[in-house]
Amino acid sequence: MYEWSEEQEMIRRAVRDFVDREIRPHREALEFGDLPPYDLLRKLFSTFGMDAMQRDSFKRRIERERAIEAGDAVAEKAEGPRDANSVAFTMIPIIELCRVCPGMVTAMGVSMGLTGAAIMGKGTIAQKERWALDLLTMDKVGAWAITEPNSGSDAFGSMMSTARRDGDEFVLNGSKTFITNGPHADTIVFICKLDEGNPPAERKIVQFVLDSGMPGLEQSKPLRKMGIHSSPTGQLFLDDVRVGMDRLLGESLDAYGGKSGREASKATFSMERAGVAAMALGIVDRCMELSIAYANDREQFGQPIGQFQLIQLKLAKMEVARMNLQNLVFRHIEMSAAGVGMSFAEASAAKLYAAQAATEVALEAVQLFGGNGYMAEYEVEQLARDAKVLQIYAGTDEIQISAVARSLLADQAGAT
Amino acid sequence: MSVAHTGGACAVCYRAVARDRIPSMNVVVCVKQIPDPADPGSLDPQTKTLKRDGKLILDESDSYGVEMALQLVDTAGGGEVTLVSMAPNNEVSGLRTALAMGAAKAVLVSDDALAGTDALGTAKVLAKAIERAGDADLILAATESSDGYTGTVPEQIAELLNLPSVTFAKEIAIDGSTAKIQRQTEAGYDDVESPLPALVSVTAGVVEPRYPSFKGIMAAKSKPVDEVTLGDLGIDAGSVGWAGGGQEIVEVTAAEEREAGTIVEDDGEGFNKIVDYLAELKVI
Ligand SMILES: Cc1cc2nc3c(=O)[nH]c(=O)nc-3n(C[C@H](O)[C@H](O)[C@H](O)COP(=O)(O)OP(=O)(O)OC[C@H]3O[C@@H](n4cnc5c(N)ncnc54)[C@H](O)[C@@H]3O)c2cc1C
Ligand SMILES: Cc1cc2nc3c(=O)[nH]c(=O)nc-3n(C[C@H](O)[C@H](O)[C@H](O)COP(=O)(O)OP(=O)(O)OC[C@H]3O[C@@H](n4cnc5c(N)ncnc54)[C@H](O)[C@@H]3O)c2cc1C
Repeated sequence: MYEWSEEQEMIRRAVRDFVDREIRPHREALEFGDLPPYDLLRKLFSTFGMDAMQRDSFKRRIERERAIEAGDAVAEKAEGPRDANSVAFTMIPIIELCRVCPGMVTAMGVSMGLTGAAIMGKGTIAQKERWALDLLTMDKVGAWAITEPNSGSDAFGSMMSTARRDGDEFVLNGSKTFITNGPHADTIVFICKLDEGNPPAERKIVQFVLDSGMPGLEQSKPLRKMGIHSSPTGQLFLDDVRVGMDRLLGESLDAYGGKSGREASKATFSMERAGVAAMALGIVDRCMELSIAYANDREQFGQPIGQFQLIQLKLAKMEVARMNLQNLVFRHIEMSAAGVGMSFAEASAAKLYAAQAATEVALEAVQLFGGNGYMAEYEVEQLARDAKVLQIYAGTDEIQISAVARSLLADQAGAT
Repeated sequence: MSVAHTGGACAVCYRAVARDRIPSMNVVVCVKQIPDPADPGSLDPQTKTLKRDGKLILDESDSYGVEMALQLVDTAGGGEVTLVSMAPNNEVSGLRTALAMGAAKAVLVSDDALAGTDALGTAKVLAKAIERAGDADLILAATESSDGYTGTVPEQIAELLNLPSVTFAKEIAIDGSTAKIQRQTEAGYDDVESPLPALVSVTAGVVEPRYPSFKGIMAAKSKPVDEVTLGDLGIDAGSVGWAGGGQEIVEVTAAEEREAGTIVEDDGEGFNKIVDYLAELKVI
């Protein structure tokens, strides 16, 4: 794949048109007011039938799982190659939304991609039906809570949140921070350690599904932050929240732990990181479009600033980044279509590059716009603040770097 | 326009009876594919016409007719929407957009001999294409296209097909074998009725055209597009194109620059000047 197909191009045009007409007019309220993004995302979903498609594929998947449970051998079908279009159709809305509000993609991605996928990956059939479907269609808002005030990059090592057994129930305690959709979430996947009186380092990791409004659960107001204001971020406080076995993901204490659990979270990370390449592409694409227009339009010293070589250098570098990001997105689509997963190291490398490229391009766009670039009225100001988060969440740049390097060193060690 | 219905004998009423048994409504929509207005177009200096050799898109003016047709079919509970279009180089991009919105199939006329066809020639071709599309209860077109905008093709098609013609429709409701149409006027609208089949031209902006769903876009690729030439339609090449054209473009001149507006300084009574100005224009 070296360019979008005719159908994909049609979808791109339709989605861009929708975003320009239905979302761009709300940019002020989303980015500078406190308008939550969910109703607009729902409109996007229903307009293009994405909710109906999710419902269909959910139904097919549950039917297959039921058949497998019943021991029907024919139903046993491994995750094979996917239609390239179905992968492209998830990338295109991400790219197009990021041209206006990257925060909306964060809100959507965490709800559908992270929270929905966590339940689809580890939940029982009953749990999937109870919570996941509504997240996949965006009918309900999901949050996925692992980060705590004292545990970020070292998510599991320093995690303080606990679950204690009490008869048939569990009692949950702890606080989570920087949680996307935290203030508005209907459904929360809460990740903590099972406290059986053993030392923290030896405790099992367990996940519970919580509903908004449960006694003892408090969801904070949105935190003030540097960018992606269209994605509400908050804190969660759990004070003796009592839950039954039905809320333990997978209804098993071993669902998360062990090798398979770690593999599953690596798969989730890989998916998340491919999404970041698409986000970066949207940001870069828009910054470039605005920069080219401004370079042609703005005159200083009697000529358009685009005539100055230092400005040309900025534009040329933006184009290099855009081409690289587009190639990463195309590669992700091709690999998924071929049924090949990106290795953890490759996904990390891609995320690292994408986050840095988006931030650099957006800041250079601010520079190209001069004083106007620093003013909120010009979109590049917002996009530059938004881009920065890509280097922090879903694993910081530093964490991606060590993942790539560790893999390179291990390969070498394995070879000798 | 209104006709009395006397029962079984007339073709129109026979159709109505058939429709009562199987509720269905077949609508043909004329859709023009035009150069993308977002890309600056250019004129061919030789023919003084718009260059149409690049990719063409669905004329936005026609998206309203497509939407209205889809709604009428939905309301009827059966039937389908068929598109007809005449365009150079077997262009289908614009048709695919309308097929993705929900139209079932299309007839596309493309022929080198069509270069230079004027509005009447276009009407002749579309009239034959509409006949080829099959039995239609209603034919929709836009009031005028966005690029040529002579606003004459729909009425000429109606004449050629010997059908009633209603222009400037803002709303259409079907009642048995009659179309009840709100026809936009300067002051408001007129209620008119027409027997079916009829040719109705739809005013831009009267409905909200749907976005094609992802599923619709995927399905559009496999929907049938009947690509035909003049020969397939039994049209003599000499009656259309430059040969058959009754018109010649003799000169193209640049549009006049807009004059600068009048600036009203507000001294606290500025509104009076605006009121006077509007009264002078007979707007109020
Ligand atoms: C807008 C936003 C939304 C978020 N949404 C969610 C969410 O929905 N759910 C959720 O659970 N979390 C969420 N997070 C949290 C995010 O994942 C963490 O902020 C991130 O993982 C970094 O953790 P930290 O903030 O504790 O930083 P730290 O881990 O304290 O890092 C501080 C600095 O030290 C560096 N560092 C840390 N360890 C190493 C090392 N081993 N080697 C080299 N350098 C290192 C880091 O790279 C960083 O530069 C969100 C964060 C933001 C900003
Ligand atoms: C000099 C010249 C050269 C031309 N060359 C070509 C050529 O090479 N190939 C070619 O195909 N055409 C050609 N045309 C035809 C031209 O593109 C128009 O279709 C025709 O002139 C109708 O004019 P209009 O756009 O003003 O229609 P209007 O009367 O303004 O259109 C009203 C409505 O009628 C319908 N309609 C009009 N035209 C079409 C159409 N073509 N297909 C479907 N529905 C339609 C639409 O619903 C439209 O909104 C040429 C015309 C001229 C004058």
